Amino acid sequence: MKHYEVEILDAKTREKLCFLDKVEPQATIAEIKNLFTKTHPQWYPARQSLRLDPKGKSLKDEDVLQKLPVGTTATLYFRDLGAQISWVTVFLTEYAGPLFIYLLFYFRVPFIYGRKYDFTSSRHTVVHLACICHSFHYIKRLLETLFVHRFSHGTMPLRNIFKNCTYYWGFAAWMAYYINHPLYTPPTYGAQQVKLALAIFVICQLGNFSIHMALRDLRPAGSKTRKIPYPTRNPFTWLFLLVSCPNYTYEVGSWIGFAIMTQCLPVALFSLVGFTQMTIWAKGKHRSYLKEFRDYPPLRMPIIPFLL
Amino acid sequence: AAAAAIAASKGNGGGGGRAGAGEASSSRRKKGPGPLTTAYLVIYNVVMTAGWLVIAVGLVRAYLAKGSYHSLYYSIEKPLKFFQTGALLEILHCAIGIVPSSVVLTSIQVMSRVFLIWAVTHSVKEVQSEDSVLLFVIAWTITEIIRYSFYTFSLLNHLPYLIKWARYTLFIVLYPMGVSGELLTIYAALPFVRQAGLYSISLPNKYNFSFDYYAFLILIMISYIPLFPQLYFHMIHQRRKILSHTEEHKKFE
Repeated sequence: MKHYEVEILDAKTREKLCFLDKVEPQATIAEIKNLFTKTHPQWYPARQSLRLDPKGKSLKDEDVLQKLPVGTTATLYFRDLGAQISWVTVFLTEYAGPLFIYLLFYFRVPFIYGRKYDFTSSRHTVVHLACICHSFHYIKRLLETLFVHRFSHGTMPLRNIFKNCTYYWGFAAWMAYYINHPLYTPPTYGAQQVKLALAIFVICQLGNFSIHMALRDLRPAGSKTRKIPYPTRNPFTWLFLLVSCPNYTYEVGSWIGFAIMTQCLPVALFSLVGFTQMTIWAKGKHRSYLKEFRDYPPLRMPIIPFLL
Repeated sequence: AAAAAIAASKGNGGGGGRAGAGEASSSRRKKGPGPLTTAYLVIYNVVMTAGWLVIAVGLVRAYLAKGSYHSLYYSIEKPLKFFQTGALLEILHCAIGIVPSSVVLTSIQVMSRVFLIWAVTHSVKEVQSEDSVLLFVIAWTITEIIRYSFYTFSLLNHLPYLIKWARYTLFIVLYPMGVSGELLTIYAALPFVRQAGLYSISLPNKYNFSFDYYAFLILIMISYIPLFPQLYFHMIHQRRKILSHTEEHKKFE
C-alpha cells in the first residue's frame, strides 16, 4: 500500500506550513489535524480549517484521505478559525445569565425601580407566575445542555459568546424590567388570558423537551451519524410529521405563550426576533436533510406546518 | 439609529462599495442592468441631482435676499424634506437588486438622515432656526449634488475625473462639517424634547412598555463616537484606493 504525502499551505499567503510524508491512505482529516498540531501547537485541531481549495469548503473531520480527489501528494490549505470555545460553555453562560438577571428584577434589588420599591413584591399573581415560567424555561435549558444534548460540533468561535450573551442577557433584562415594574399593568382579559397562555407555555415546553429527547435517541453517544427523525410513541413528537424542526416550533410557541401571559411588548419583540432566527436555522437544517436523504418526507416544512 | 454619522458620509465614501460597481471601467461587474433599468436609474439620479441643486440655489438666493445666513432652513424646507425622503427609494433599489449595494448599509444611511429631517428638525420647531441645521444642510447639499451626478455620469459611462475626484476628496471637510451640524442640532433639541415629552411613552400602559425619546437621542449622539472615526478612515482608505488607481491608469494611457 502506498503512502501519501500531505503538504499544508496557508490559505492566504500560500506559505508552506507543514509537510507530512508517509501518511496512511486511510488517515482521516482529524488525524491530519492532529499531526499538524504537533508542529504548530498554537493551532489545536478545533481551530483548524483544512480545504482542498484555498477558498473552498472546509473538509470534514471524518473525511478520509484516499477518498479525496487528490493524487498521492495532497495539498491542503489551512485557515485559522480563531480561538474556540466549547458549545457547552457557551450554552451554559448564555442561559445562566437570563435566569439570574430576571431574578434581580423580580426581587427588585436596589438601583432599579427606586428606593421605596427595593425588595418589594408585586401584587399581581401573573408576575409571580411569569417568574416561575421564565426560570423554569432557563433551568430546563441548562439541564438539557448538561444532560440531553449531544453536540455534533465540539466548538464555536470565542467571539460568538459575546454576541450571544449580549442578545440573551440584554433581552432578558429588557423584558424583566417591564414585567416586574411597580407600574406593571396585568393582562386585559384577566385570569382567562393567563390560563390560556399558561396552557400554551406548558404544552410547548413539554413538546420542546420531547423533541430534544427524540433527537438524543437518534444519535448514539459519541457518534456523529445523522438520521431522519421520525415521530415516536410520545404524541408531542408527532409534529415531526409536519415540520423538520419541531423543537423550534415549540420554542417559539413557548415565547408566544409567555408574551400573551405577560402582555408585554418587549416579550413579543423577543419572540419575533427569536422566530426569525430559528426560521433561518430551521431552513438550513431542512435543506441539509433534503440534500442528505433522498427519501425525506415531502410533507415536512422547516418550522411552521404547511407554511414556512 | 447610530447611523446619522454614516449618513453624512454617504455621498463621499460611505458608499465606497457602490462606487466600484458604478464605475464603467469595472470589469468585475457581472451583469449590467438592462436598458430600462438603466434609463430609470439615470432619470432617478438626474432628478435627485436637480433636486439638490434646487436646494443649493434656494440657499444662495435666500442668503442674497436676506443678507444673513441665519434661519435659511425655512427657505428650503420643502425641497429638502422632499428630496431627502426621496432617497428612501435607494433602499428599494438595493433591495430589488438593481443597485449592487448592501441593503442594510444603505438603509442605515438613508434612514438616519430621514430620521434627522423628520424626527428631529421637523418635530422640534425650536431648533429649525439654529445655525447647526444650516451646517449639515450645506454639507448634505454639496455632497448629494456630487454623489448623484457621480452616479448619473457613471451610468452613462462618462465619468469626468473632476466629479470622481470631488466625490472622494470633499468629504474630508464636508463629513466632519455634517456630523457637527447633526450633533449640535440633536443637542439643541434635547431640552425641548424633555420639556414636551416628545414621542415618549410612559408607564403604566397596557402594553407594558415605555420609551424615552430624550434618552434615545442621547444614545444616538453617543453612537457617533465609535462610528465617526471608523467611517472617516474607511473613506480615506477608499479615496487612496480609487484615486491612485485612476492615476496609474492615466500613466499607462
